[in-house]
Amino acid sequence: MAALFSEGFLLGLSTGAYCLASCLPVLAPYLLAGGGLSWKINFLIFIEFLAGRFIAYTLFALVAVSLGKASGPYLPQRALAAGMVVTALFMFYFLFSGRLKKHAPCLASLPAAWAEKRIPFLLGFLTGINICPPFAAGLLRLMGLADALKGLAYFGGFFTSTSLFLLPALTPTPFLGSRLKRIGRMTLFLAALWYLFLGLKGLISLP
Amino acid sequence: MLSAYKRLFPALVFAALVFAPVAVFSSRIVSREISFFYALAWAVFAGGVAFASFYTGRVSFFRRIFFSVSALAFLVHFKFNLFSKVFDSSCFKDTPYCHIAIAPSFLNYLYLQYLALMSGGWAVWGPLSLVFVWLFATLIIGRAWCSWACFYGGIDDGLSALPKKALLKTEKWGFKLRDFPAALLIFLLLVSFANMLPVYCLWLCPFKMTGSFLDTDYALIRNIQYGLMVLALAVLFLGPLLTKKRTFCSFLCPFGAWQAFWGKLNPFRISVNALKCTGCQACVEACPMYAIESEPGSKAEISSYCNLCGECLKACAAGGINYSVLGFRMPYITEGFGKLLNPESFLVFSALTLGATFASLWAPAAMGDIVKLIR
Repeated sequence: MAALFSEGFLLGLSTGAYCLASCLPVLAPYLLAGGGLSWKINFLIFIEFLAGRFIAYTLFALVAVSLGKASGPYLPQRALAAGMVVTALFMFYFLFSGRLKKHAPCLASLPAAWAEKRIPFLLGFLTGINICPPFAAGLLRLMGLADALKGLAYFGGFFTSTSLFLLPALTPTPFLGSRLKRIGRMTLFLAALWYLFLGLKGLISLP
Repeated sequence: MLSAYKRLFPALVFAALVFAPVAVFSSRIVSREISFFYALAWAVFAGGVAFASFYTGRVSFFRRIFFSVSALAFLVHFKFNLFSKVFDSSCFKDTPYCHIAIAPSFLNYLYLQYLALMSGGWAVWGPLSLVFVWLFATLIIGRAWCSWACFYGGIDDGLSALPKKALLKTEKWGFKLRDFPAALLIFLLLVSFANMLPVYCLWLCPFKMTGSFLDTDYALIRNIQYGLMVLALAVLFLGPLLTKKRTFCSFLCPFGAWQAFWGKLNPFRISVNALKCTGCQACVEACPMYAIESEPGSKAEISSYCNLCGECLKACAAGGINYSVLGFRMPYITEGFGKLLNPESFLVFSALTLGATFASLWAPAAMGDIVKLIR
């Protein structure tokens, strides 16, 4: 088990830059815009984001093991594009929910109000379903193992080391002032536009 | 004779101090491609600007002339090259060697360097060498890069000086949006890294606007890219004419935000003398970068977006604004060789020498292009 954990850990270490590239455009602006002044608050947001990512990965892994083939777990391209659009909509919702509630208080009782509280989790989940190349590589090994417990050890190692790459996103958060938060909100707005564009492009260009 | 000693000779010495290094570096840069005389002409121009600004004390006025000429020369040379084989679409997706690209593509540079080191490919040392040049320039002139050396800035700055009055008053929203380049920088750093592409250059750079660069399969994306580039062009050319402010540098330049952060490494500052400041806000209006904030009647505050252009010095009737080293006020010497020791002289020497040397990459060649065109 320890050997499998190490193997997964090393795979994550060697390919973690990819995870950084795919998750950071969502996580970093959110931490700047929605983070607090203490490490504790920001660390909780970080953990919640990782939990969302973990759940998404685990679901994929479970499907992969149950299907027992490499091509099974991938979501259709259209669903991935739709996932990006939903990610963008959550970002917009986070940015404008305050104004929305002010002008339409009835919205506070909608399920979206729950979503607002769990936005880091949802963002983590949505970035998790956009499988990056290192995870795809890990997934193949996981299916080769064909054992849920062994797979968990391997996958645990992989997830732990790739998560380490995301830690630098926490660095600026204790210095958050109103100005940096404003910059964070503008960054999140740009990131949301980018994801919306990518998602719509995917939806339109696919046959 | 006494007057000549006090004003003319120090100015000549100052001009010679700028001329000599620019002539040496410029001739080294151009020697392989064009005649040495173009380099010499460029160095004479830089020396002339140094002389005029030192002799008259009108630093900002002559800085702007130098800065705008340098930017125009860039446009001339770049456009001449643009239609030749230098920048074709096949090489465009590599991050170009441009100072603006350093900031939004910095993570890409680091990653490429990491790959080069891991593979033992020492020949791929290229990307970070540009970063070392940037670091050197930042230590020497800091944020002054944006008002003495940048070719975007020269266009923005020159155009902002043309109208007598601003047609659009922008202070209200201008200060609110002043942090937008910082957001743009963070966003571009992350997205460029995620896609391993110079996203800023592909999507926003107004200098790259020609059909051959937009090598994408989708008409929609091409149209959006065109739209954004037209917007950037409008902000670069129309914005300054309408607002009398440097709109591109203030709102769309990620390098400006980058330099505002790292510029603190450099000791030169603009300082406000609280005893002399009357809170008249003339400097707020004069600053083309939205870098001075002040409530009526209270002391003006200089933000880190200040790029040491010197417009506020000229605008302050009370003489309460000066160049300083790390904010320390020093006695200002107005005549004789002692004037060479003012912080202002050190800044002008550093910025003009570095700006003119950097511009040697295109300014002498632009002269050559024009001569060739006339012939």
